Amino acid sequence: MAHIEEHKETHTVQKEKQNYVMLDLGKTPKFGMPAFIQVVKRSLSLELLKGLGVTFREMINALFKGKMHTTKYPFEKLPISPRYRAIHEMLRLLESGHYRCIGCGLCEKICISNCIAMETRYDENQRKEVSQYTINFGRCIFCGYCAEVCPELAIVHGGRYENASEQRAGFSLFEDMLTPIDKLKEQKEFAGFGSISPNADENIKKTPLAY
Amino acid sequence: MDALTIGTIIKILIILAIVSAIAGFGTYIERKVLAFMQRRLGPMHVGPFGLLQIAADGIKLFTKEDIIPQNANKFIFSLAPVITAATAFIAMAALPLFPTFTIPKSLPVIGGAIVPSTVADINIGILFILGTMAAGLYGPLLAGMAQSNKWGIIGSARTAVQFLSYEVVTGLSVLAPIMLVGSLSMIDFNDAQAGGITSWLIWQQPIAFVLFLIAGFAETNRTPFDLLEHEAEIVSGYLTEYSGLRWGMFFIGEYANMITISIIAAVVFCGGYNDLAFISGWFLFVLKVVFFFFLMLWARAAWPHVRPDQMMWLCWKVLMPLAVINILITGIVVML
Amino acid sequence: MFEQIAFYFFSVLTIGLFLVAVFSKNVLYAMTSLASGMVVIAGFFFLVGADFLGVVQLIVYVGAVMALYAFGMMFFNVTKNLKEKTTSTGWVLIVGVTAALLMTLMFLGAINPDAIYASLPMSDKMTNPEAVGMALFTKYLVPFEVAAVMLLIAMIGGIVLAGKKMDTSLTDIKDEVLQLKDEE
Ligand code: SF4
Ligand code: SF4
Repeated sequence: MAHIEEHKETHTVQKEKQNYVMLDLGKTPKFGMPAFIQVVKRSLSLELLKGLGVTFREMINALFKGKMHTTKYPFEKLPISPRYRAIHEMLRLLESGHYRCIGCGLCEKICISNCIAMETRYDENQRKEVSQYTINFGRCIFCGYCAEVCPELAIVHGGRYENASEQRAGFSLFEDMLTPIDKLKEQKEFAGFGSISPNADENIKKTPLAY
Repeated sequence: MDALTIGTIIKILIILAIVSAIAGFGTYIERKVLAFMQRRLGPMHVGPFGLLQIAADGIKLFTKEDIIPQNANKFIFSLAPVITAATAFIAMAALPLFPTFTIPKSLPVIGGAIVPSTVADINIGILFILGTMAAGLYGPLLAGMAQSNKWGIIGSARTAVQFLSYEVVTGLSVLAPIMLVGSLSMIDFNDAQAGGITSWLIWQQPIAFVLFLIAGFAETNRTPFDLLEHEAEIVSGYLTEYSGLRWGMFFIGEYANMITISIIAAVVFCGGYNDLAFISGWFLFVLKVVFFFFLMLWARAAWPHVRPDQMMWLCWKVLMPLAVINILITGIVVML
Repeated sequence: MFEQIAFYFFSVLTIGLFLVAVFSKNVLYAMTSLASGMVVIAGFFFLVGADFLGVVQLIVYVGAVMALYAFGMMFFNVTKNLKEKTTSTGWVLIVGVTAALLMTLMFLGAINPDAIYASLPMSDKMTNPEAVGMALFTKYLVPFEVAAVMLLIAMIGGIVLAGKKMDTSLTDIKDEVLQLKDEE
């Protein structure tokens, strides 16, 4: 009994905040005349036709009012959040076009699945230069530590999420992830963890729960 | 051979070819309509608007490996789909499908042949159709029992239950229009409703019409009554172990039955293929059949399905008494 | 000519199917051949022009054998062969032969073709269902009514037998009560 009362309480609490309507279905009569009357009532109130009406309305909506829900996926893609952590990108400096990575090795160090491998050396100006840099995406768990630790904002996560492959190990080289020099203008700054997606406003829905 | 015999043979070939094609096309229509009602697009990528999806599915069904389960009764297992497909087409023998026409004389061999609208205009048309369609239920029954799979057994038990429930309603519901028309022939039904919309039997027999539709849904095991193969409860019922061509035969049988029921509803209750004012009767007839076919898909999108016990309750305790009362009243009216 | 071929074809088929129904050790085979035998019998009716009776045969027996299937499904494993227990072959033989002899005697009249005539001959003026109705409601009215009353009695009997405990629903009874009932 106790839990029923409790339930009633929460019910009234919810009632104050939101307009829930309890459907008055009445009692279900089991035998005899009342049951018979209920059957007749329900059959004659044509509720079945209402159901048909709803589906037909949806069909009209979909066909003629442009409310079709389908996204033809490989041909169309929904925008993904900038927080999304997919295949990494190596960014360039906007002014000089030189890659940002200073070869500090922090990402290699912090990577919890040990999938970044890099080698560095001094170039002719005694600056550090990245001679080898690979990420094994068969091991990467896309945790995002590497992007977070990078002091130069050189390694970030991009939006390429279609990374099915034939083998378990799939290596990506530095040059593959580096922004192509001719696309430098289109290079976007990583909006950072906690940023919201471009279509966030559209996605906002009323939550059904009373918070 | 005389012109009519050749025509009849041609007609048989037309039915076999066109109806199985339409049955295939019906699967496409069903997927499209269901998709639209759920605001999806349905098949889109094979051919324009996904039209060639049927061909692709056909190729898939034909080339799939034919698996017969180890403990199944092989003979019955392979017999069952044939029963469903064959009876569905036999039932069509007594149905009017296209207008009677004569093949022009200029064609070789078959020139001058008269192709009748009905293959066999037997004077007990509607009983024959319902009888063969009823026999078609042996397909699912045997299929379920032969495959030694518990879902199959449940499926065939449900077949028996469903058959014994709705068969009474089907018979009794068409009995009232039969009494009014005084004949069992489809042609007579059509001729009795020649006088425009007001002479349609649906106005005199609305209850019988609704009862027949409900029983027709059960007969073709369409959605409110798709107990035999309801995926959510019994995997696929009698179809669980079937694949490839045999599965396809069940499918063609089911769609042919849907067409049959639509045609019966159009001929018996909705004026058949009579001309209406200036509109060609056969055009209207196709429209009516298409409407009833669409209604079946529509109901599938809109309604949940019933439990077996609800189905028995509905058939025996609600529909059958209604049908009997309807017949009584019709009888009294006919006598007066 | 065509009719004779069809007749012999159907005869062989019917006898063969019913033989399978009797001798098969597999319930599924037995019932399937029984059902198809019944359907083939409808062919005989079509052959002599009694379309209506043919279709009635089809509808009635399709339904009846379907009920048999339901029992078969409940009582046997249909995919396995049955082991029959015959305690005394002698009795089976005697009863079988006597029944066969009796049947032969009953249909002995058929040997003399003059002895067979239609008491209500078919006429071209009536369609098939009309002819059946005419026979049922004139000459055979009394047997028809008696059969109807008999069926009614059987139906009421069936309802009474099956409906004894219909007013209590098993799902509504509490588990403890059910357990008590089991222990009794
Ligand atoms: S995302 Fe995580 S696992 Fe992947 S490379 Fe970066 S640190 Fe390593
Ligand atoms: S942390 Fe950044 S700068 Fe340091 S090596 Fe990695 S990518 Fe280069």
